[in-house]
Amino acid sequence: MTPPSGSLLAAEELRKAYGPTMALDGAHFSIHPGEVVAVMGPSGSGKSTLLHCLAGIVPPDSGSITYNGAELATMSDAQRSALRRSEFGFVFQFGQLVPELTCVENVALPLRLNGTSRKEAERAALGWMQRLEVDDLSKKRPGEVSGGQGQRVAVARALVTGPRVLFADEPTGALDSLNGERVMELLTEAARSTNAAVVLVTHEARVAAYSDREIVVRDGKSRDMERAV
Amino acid sequence: MSARTWARDLSLGARFAVTGGREGWVRTVLTAVGVGLGVALLLLTTALPSVIGKRHDRDDARTDFTFSSRKDIPRGEDTLVSAHVDTSYHDEEVRGRLLQPEGPEAPVPPGLHSLPKQGEMYVSPGLKKLLASKDGALLRERLPYRTAGTIGDSGLMGPRELAYYAYSDDIARHVGSDGRVARIKQYGDVGEAQDDEGLPPVLLLLILVIFVVLLMPVAVFIAAAVRFGGERRDRRLAALRLVGSDGGMTRRIAAGEALAGSVLGLVFGTGFFLLGRELVGSVDLFGISVFPSYLTPSPLLALLVALAVPAAAVLVTLFALRGVVIEPLGVVRTARPARRRLWWRLLLPVAGLAMLSPMIGKGNENGDFNEYLVVGGVLLLLVGVTALLPWIVETVVGRLDSGGVAWQLAVRRLQLSSGTAARMVNGIAVAVAGAIALQMLFTGVQDDFTQDTGRDPSRAQMEVDMTAPGKADLVAGKVEERFQRTKGVAAAVALSVDSVSERRKDPELSSDITVGTCASLREIADLPSCHDGDAFALPAPSDPGQGPGDEVDQLLKPGLQLYVDPSFSGSPKGAEVVWKVPDRLPVVKQRHDALQNEIWGLLVTPSAAPAAALPQMSGRVYVRLDHAVPDATEHVRNTAAALDPFSDAWTWVSEKTSDQYEAIRTGLFIGATCVLALIGASLLVSQLEQLRERKRLLSALVAFGTRRRTLSLSVLWQSAIPIALGLVLASVVGLTLGAVLQKMSQVPVQIYWGSVLSMTGVGAAVVLTVTVLSLPALLRLMRPEGLRTE
Repeated sequence: MTPPSGSLLAAEELRKAYGPTMALDGAHFSIHPGEVVAVMGPSGSGKSTLLHCLAGIVPPDSGSITYNGAELATMSDAQRSALRRSEFGFVFQFGQLVPELTCVENVALPLRLNGTSRKEAERAALGWMQRLEVDDLSKKRPGEVSGGQGQRVAVARALVTGPRVLFADEPTGALDSLNGERVMELLTEAARSTNAAVVLVTHEARVAAYSDREIVVRDGKSRDMERAV
Repeated sequence: MSARTWARDLSLGARFAVTGGREGWVRTVLTAVGVGLGVALLLLTTALPSVIGKRHDRDDARTDFTFSSRKDIPRGEDTLVSAHVDTSYHDEEVRGRLLQPEGPEAPVPPGLHSLPKQGEMYVSPGLKKLLASKDGALLRERLPYRTAGTIGDSGLMGPRELAYYAYSDDIARHVGSDGRVARIKQYGDVGEAQDDEGLPPVLLLLILVIFVVLLMPVAVFIAAAVRFGGERRDRRLAALRLVGSDGGMTRRIAAGEALAGSVLGLVFGTGFFLLGRELVGSVDLFGISVFPSYLTPSPLLALLVALAVPAAAVLVTLFALRGVVIEPLGVVRTARPARRRLWWRLLLPVAGLAMLSPMIGKGNENGDFNEYLVVGGVLLLLVGVTALLPWIVETVVGRLDSGGVAWQLAVRRLQLSSGTAARMVNGIAVAVAGAIALQMLFTGVQDDFTQDTGRDPSRAQMEVDMTAPGKADLVAGKVEERFQRTKGVAAAVALSVDSVSERRKDPELSSDITVGTCASLREIADLPSCHDGDAFALPAPSDPGQGPGDEVDQLLKPGLQLYVDPSFSGSPKGAEVVWKVPDRLPVVKQRHDALQNEIWGLLVTPSAAPAAALPQMSGRVYVRLDHAVPDATEHVRNTAAALDPFSDAWTWVSEKTSDQYEAIRTGLFIGATCVLALIGASLLVSQLEQLRERKRLLSALVAFGTRRRTLSLSVLWQSAIPIALGLVLASVVGLTLGAVLQKMSQVPVQIYWGSVLSMTGVGAAVVLTVTVLSLPALLRLMRPEGLRTE
C-alpha cells in the first residue's frame, strides 16, 4: 500500500515489539497538513508506540515512515532530534514541564534549544502563552500552577516553534472534563491557525471528537474509522 | 504524645519503606547502601584499637632483644642466639633473624614448630610468594637458604609481612660485641616497662584532628543518605494526609521510613564490614597489612554505632521535614522555600574558633592541650562548613542567571533545590577543609620531626655498614673491589671507623679514627698530598652546634699515645689497642662536599693505622650507583649480604622524619583514602538517585529534541557549581583552621598553596569521576522507554 498523495507524515507496515509483546503489528498511518487525526484504542493497544515511532523517538523494527517525502529510517539520531526540535511539537500527559524552570522558560525552551536568544525566545513564548490564556503564569514554576494551567503551558511550548506536526499523547488524561475540553479547544484552534497537523492519541471519545479523522489501533494493527457526521 | 503513638507511626513508616513496590524498595535499598557504607567505615574505626592492640601484642610476643637481654645470659641448654639481619627489597622491609640454638631446649619463635636446621629457613607466606615469583629473583640470591616451612600467623604482624628465620652456626661469638646479636632464653621478654613518655603534644593534636576530620564526613554522609528519594516520599506522604493523617503523624511516618532504611543500612554495613574484613588480608596499604581476625569492633563502640545511626536517621528526617508543608491536595509545596538565615550558621565556626583560642601556643611547651576543647572546636568549625554551605549555595545560585540551555537548566534546578545540592557536597567540603588544615599543620611541624642525616645523596646513594666478618678485608681494598665489580655500582669508597681516647677505660676525651686509602680519605677532606703511611688531623667545626669541638682537637696531637676502641664501665670490653699518633700530622680541612660531614678526628692511611685494631673497626662502604642499571640497589644489598650477613645496606636520604610522625601521616593517608572512596561512592549513589527521580522528565526532554549533550552538560553543571562553592568555602575554613592549628603548635603561620590546590584538586577529581560514572545511567534514563506508561 502506498501513502495517500499529499501526506505530510505517513507510515506503512509498522512493526515494533517490546520483548515478547508485539506493540505494533503492521500498522498504517497518514496525515495531511492542518489535519487533526485521533489515534484511539484501549490501554496497551499500541497507540503511544505508534506516536513514538511517527515522531522518530523510537525506531520501528520494520516498516517505513516518511515525513515530507523523506524516510525517517535513513536519518541519524541527531537528524531526527533536529527534526523533533524544529518541525514537531509534543504534549504529553505527565512529566513534560521542567519543574525548576518558570512557565515562560519552559515554553521558550524548544526555541532556545534551536539556538534562539533567550530574550527573543521568551518574547515569542509570552505571545503563545497569551493565546493560550496563561500569560499571567509566566513567572510561576510548574509546581505552583494547576493541572489544566500546566497542560496549557505545555501546549504553548509544543506550538512555540511553529511545528508542522503536533503530537499529543493523552493531553487531557490528567484533567477534569471542563479543563480537558478547554485545553482541547485551545490546542486545536491554535494548530489550525498555523496549519499544523495534529496526531492526537486518546482513548476518550469526547477528546477524539475534536479530530477530523479517527484511527483505531487494536493489537498493534490500525484501522481507519468511518465517522458518522 | 505517647510512646505507643510514636512506635505505631514509626512502624507504619517502616512498613511503607518495604511495601511500596519496586520504587519503595529501590529507595530503601539506596538509603541502606549509603548508610551501610558509612556504618562499615564506623565499624572499621571502632576496630582500630583492636588492630593496634593485636599488632602490638604480636610484636611483643616475638621480641628477641630487649634491654634486659643485654645482661649477660650464660650459654645453656635453653639458650638461643638471635641476630637481626633485617633487609629491604624493592622498598619493602624484610624482617630477618639468624638463629643459633645452643641446646635442645632453646626457645622457638612464635609461629614456628621447630627451629630451622643447617641451611634452612622458615619464611612468611608473603616472602614465600615473593621468593617464588620472578620479581623475587634478586632476593633469592640474598637469602641462600632452603625454605623448610612457613611462619604461622602467630609469628607475624600481618598476612603480607615479609619475614624469615634462618639457621646460622657462626653468630654466638658476636654476642656482646655486636649490638644486633643477643642470647635469649625466651621470646616475648619485653623486659622492664620503659617509661612511656607518650606522644609529643603536637602529634597528639594531629591525631585528634585526624579523627574528627575523617569521621565528620562519614556522619555528614549518613545524614544525607537517609534523605535519599525525599521528593518522591513527600508525594507519598501527601496521599497519607489525604486519608486523614495529621502533620505530626506524617513526619513520624517519614521518620519510620528513614528508620527502616537505616536499620537495613546497619545490616548492609555489617555485611560490607565483614566483606571488607575478609578482603583486608590481601591488601597492603602503605606497608601495613593486618589479619582479618584483628578487625574486631569494640563491642561498646559497635553498640553505640548500632544505636546512634537509626536515632540520627529519625532526628535528621524530623529536622528536614520541619520546613516542608505536606498538604492533602497540594502534594508538597515546591515553591521557593523561605530564605536561609546566616546568623546562626556563622555562630558555629565562630564558637569553634572561640573554643580553640585558649589552646594557642600550647604546642611546644609541656603539651597541655585540652582534648575536649580541641575536638569540640574542630568539630564546630567543620560543622560550620555544613551549615554555611547551603546558605552560600542558595545565595550564589540565586544570583546566577544568563547562559546556555544546559547552564539554565542546572542553575534553575539548583535554585529550586539548593539544599539537596549542598547536602551532596557537604561531605567532600568537610573532608577537604580538614585535609587542608591537616596538611598545613603537617607541613608546619615537619621541620620539628625531621633531622638532617648529614649525608649528601648527590655524592653517594648508598652506604653499607659492616660490623662483623669481612672487616679485615676492608682495608686491604678487597671489599671496595667487590662492590666496584657489583652490577649497577659506578664507584665505591671504603673506610674503617673507630673511636680513640686518652685513657684505656672510661676516658674523658674521645675522637674518631678513620682509616682508608688516600683516594678514600680524599672523599672526606682536602688533602695536600697523600701517600700510604700518612696521617692527618681533621679538627671538628668551630661552630659549637656542629660537633664535639675542643674535645676532639685535644687528641689531634703528634706523638700522643691513644687507645683505639676504649672500654666503658657497663659495656662490653673494647679492644683498647695502644697507638701512637704519627709525628707528622698535617691539619686538613673537611671537603665542602664531604661524603659524610660528621667525620672528624684522625684520618689515617692503612700503613699508619694500628694493625691490631683494624679487625675491630666498623666498616663503611659508600656506593655511587649507576641508575641506568635496573635494581642497582638490590645488587649492592646482595653483595653486602654475601660479604657480611650483619651488614646494613641503606639508601641515603638527606633528611629523615620521626617514626611517630611518619606513622601518623601513614594513618592519615589510609583514613583519607577510605573516606574519599566513601564520599565518591556516596556521591554516585546520590547522583543516581536524583537522576532516577527525573527519568520521565529526561525522556520527555529528549523526545522534543533536547540534545543528550545538553542534558549531560546540565548534570555536570549541577555538580560543578555546588562543588566549586563547597571547595571555596572548604579552602577558607581549612586555611583558617590550619592557621589556628599552626598557632596552637607555635609554628609560624604559613599557607602552603600547593597543598590547598592539591586537596581541592582531589575533591574536584572525585566529583568529576562521579559525574563521568553517572553518565551511562543518565544516557540510559534518557531513552524513550521512559515515556512508556504501560
